[in-house]
Amino acid sequence: MRLDLTAKSFGPRAVLGSLTLQVGRGQRVALLGPSGIGKSTLVRIVAGLDHDFDGTLSGDDRLALVFQEPTLLPWRDALANITIPTGCGPDDARALMAEVGLAGREAQFPRQLSLGQQRRLALARAFAARPDILLMDEPFASLDADTATRMIALTGALLDRSGAGLILVTHDPAEPARLGAAAMVLSGNPAILHR
Amino acid sequence: MLALWTVASQLTERPQTLPAPWVVAARIWALAASGELWFHAGMTLFRVLASFVIAMAVGIALGLWMGRWRAADHWLNPALVIALNIPALVTIVLAYIWIGLNEVAAVTAVALNKIPVVTVMLREGARALRPDLDEMAAAFRMPRLARLRHVVLPQLAPYIAGAARAGISLIWKIVLVVEFLGRSNGVGFKIHLLFSNFDVAGVLAWALAFVAVMLAIDLFILRPWEARANRWRRDEA
Repeated sequence: MRLDLTAKSFGPRAVLGSLTLQVGRGQRVALLGPSGIGKSTLVRIVAGLDHDFDGTLSGDDRLALVFQEPTLLPWRDALANITIPTGCGPDDARALMAEVGLAGREAQFPRQLSLGQQRRLALARAFAARPDILLMDEPFASLDADTATRMIALTGALLDRSGAGLILVTHDPAEPARLGAAAMVLSGNPAILHR
Repeated sequence: MLALWTVASQLTERPQTLPAPWVVAARIWALAASGELWFHAGMTLFRVLASFVIAMAVGIALGLWMGRWRAADHWLNPALVIALNIPALVTIVLAYIWIGLNEVAAVTAVALNKIPVVTVMLREGARALRPDLDEMAAAFRMPRLARLRHVVLPQLAPYIAGAARAGISLIWKIVLVVEFLGRSNGVGFKIHLLFSNFDVAGVLAWALAFVAVMLAIDLFILRPWEARANRWRRDEA
């Protein structure tokens, strides 16, 4: 996956300047920077959710996105929340749920799960899409320290096993090291990437 | 209500003006026994269901379109306001004149009366759709049909249920007018005949019998469906 960005602006306001981001299977990159700098905007461009930018996005890697919030379908049970968006089979979905510690909760609706469980379900959903590159937008931001530690370890283990690459957006400089990701800092106005 | 009706019926000087409940009940029984009730109520119910299905399908599609695309809303809104304000009677008369005194005209006229109401309700629903779930569906490249079925329609369910409930009661009232004006069977046609004889007991018997049918539809079809569609809102499994 390679993004050659010339510029991205919202109306008259230039948010992102000229930058290049290249990530392949097995490579892990973290994008750091203060809030409002354009990290999420960059990830949305990479994920194909925002087409309104100057530059080119190339590569045919499968991407999966973990959002800041779990963003589950409240009216479908946990298992369907994996199978419906990703198209993966129920057996694979069950195996993934077991891997994130949600065995036995397949028939529960998201409302009936704790926030931590919902996030693990969202993580399982992302891996069910068999991504070449996993995109994560501040996935550990609103978690308490213990839960965040467990989520990070779980994410690392799933990345190791699947061999997927990672683009992690975060404002916490400690997270990239724990996931073995190369840190890049987004700063400036308009923002560009610094190693 | 029944007590009030009984008292009122005993106070009226001419029993023909407001017959007692048991007179009406006996009349319903006689109609049911003769089979007449089932045929005419069946015809009315068929027209109600046909126009209901058409009105809901078209109204949901239009409402979704107008709620999600600003341009569609911009161009169709004046037409919608006009359609909302055309009296039911005008639509019915014009449908009979333009299409003819037939079943197609009857069902079309009723559906046309109901479509704008469904559209307005569903447009509100479509405007309230959650953008985060839209993005999730886009990020996972969910196919269009799966998106509609699993992401969009469940969010619209309360609006659809509201439109259905308000719709079915409005529709059966309009169906009666349609039958009154231009059909040779159905509850509305029977009421037309009874009206010429000032037969209040007959009018009440037909009306109440059909209200019972509509009540049964609400109790045995709409409510169970709603309960099922809302299972996910409960906190405990």
